[in-house]
Amino acid sequence: MEFKDKRVIVTGATKGLGKAMALAFAREGAWVAINYSSDDKSALETESEIKNIAPESLLLKADVSSRTDVEKMISGVLEQWEYVDILVNNAGIIRDKLLMFLNEKDWDRVIDVNLKGTYLCSKSIIKTMIGRKSGRIINITSPSALTGRTCQTNYSASKGGIISFTKSLSREMARFGITVNAVCPGIISTPMTEDLDEKTKKEFLNMIPMGRFGDPEDITGAVLFLASEKSQYITGHVLVVDGGLG
Amino acid sequence: MKEIVNNSEALIEFLKKMIIDTLKLEDITVEEIGDDTPLFREGLGLDSLDALELVVAIEKNFNVIIEDENVGKKAFESISTLAQFIQEEYGE
Repeated sequence: MEFKDKRVIVTGATKGLGKAMALAFAREGAWVAINYSSDDKSALETESEIKNIAPESLLLKADVSSRTDVEKMISGVLEQWEYVDILVNNAGIIRDKLLMFLNEKDWDRVIDVNLKGTYLCSKSIIKTMIGRKSGRIINITSPSALTGRTCQTNYSASKGGIISFTKSLSREMARFGITVNAVCPGIISTPMTEDLDEKTKKEFLNMIPMGRFGDPEDITGAVLFLASEKSQYITGHVLVVDGGLG
Repeated sequence: MKEIVNNSEALIEFLKKMIIDTLKLEDITVEEIGDDTPLFREGLGLDSLDALELVVAIEKNFNVIIEDENVGKKAFESISTLAQFIQEEYGE
């Protein structure tokens, strides 16, 4: 049990990649707090699965783009758990449109949830980590940040910003024994990718040398590695897990 | 802690020890830190990341939160200004 009694928060954790990460930590003995914004049904299902495995768990409904929500969420966790060892900033949304048709609302919402959410959650958690001179922050980015993608100027900007944020924060936190890294999942089978049409799916598969979409479990290994003691000398790094997509 | 905060001498002594312990300043003693010695750049030579640790330590010891960089800069000019800031903010 590599993460026995380690206290973990995963944002956007009730579906897809976030859920897989939360379950992976729970299987390794961690106390797992799962955040979600609105899908109560999925949240309760995931909470039930986590509760069966994790020694302790919390369900946190909060919009990560809201400072008051985030501060309330983090202070609530700290009141109950005293401290947090690991934060995974996974919460993210897409609003794909060609720039010509991308309205301000869809631009702002994606930037707010994906990038601002990462900033707000990280800012709220670092005090406890600095006090303990220990911590792990793992931010989830995207290949879209590295190569760009049509219809994703907002999404790729938010995920690109996460990379820069990761690198800068890693420099601030290094002397406190806190590592800050990013994981860049390739194209993974999740609710977000299930909505793709068949033509697009085939195009993507042809781009992946391994010839398949990733499973959420392919990503959890990378996240758990960066959360573990094994990665204590790695910080400011972007770990790409994409089957060779590049 | 209330007694310490209300006694300027005791508070200054506490803060000097807190800074030495928090930042692990092994080569400096409490006696060597002047009340009006600048904490940053010249004087004690602390940097902005040291300030982060001190902000956390102040919140932990006094429940006084420093959220604004400009407020922090003024408070952290010296031990005396820090003590005065804490006395003003403590218990609010």
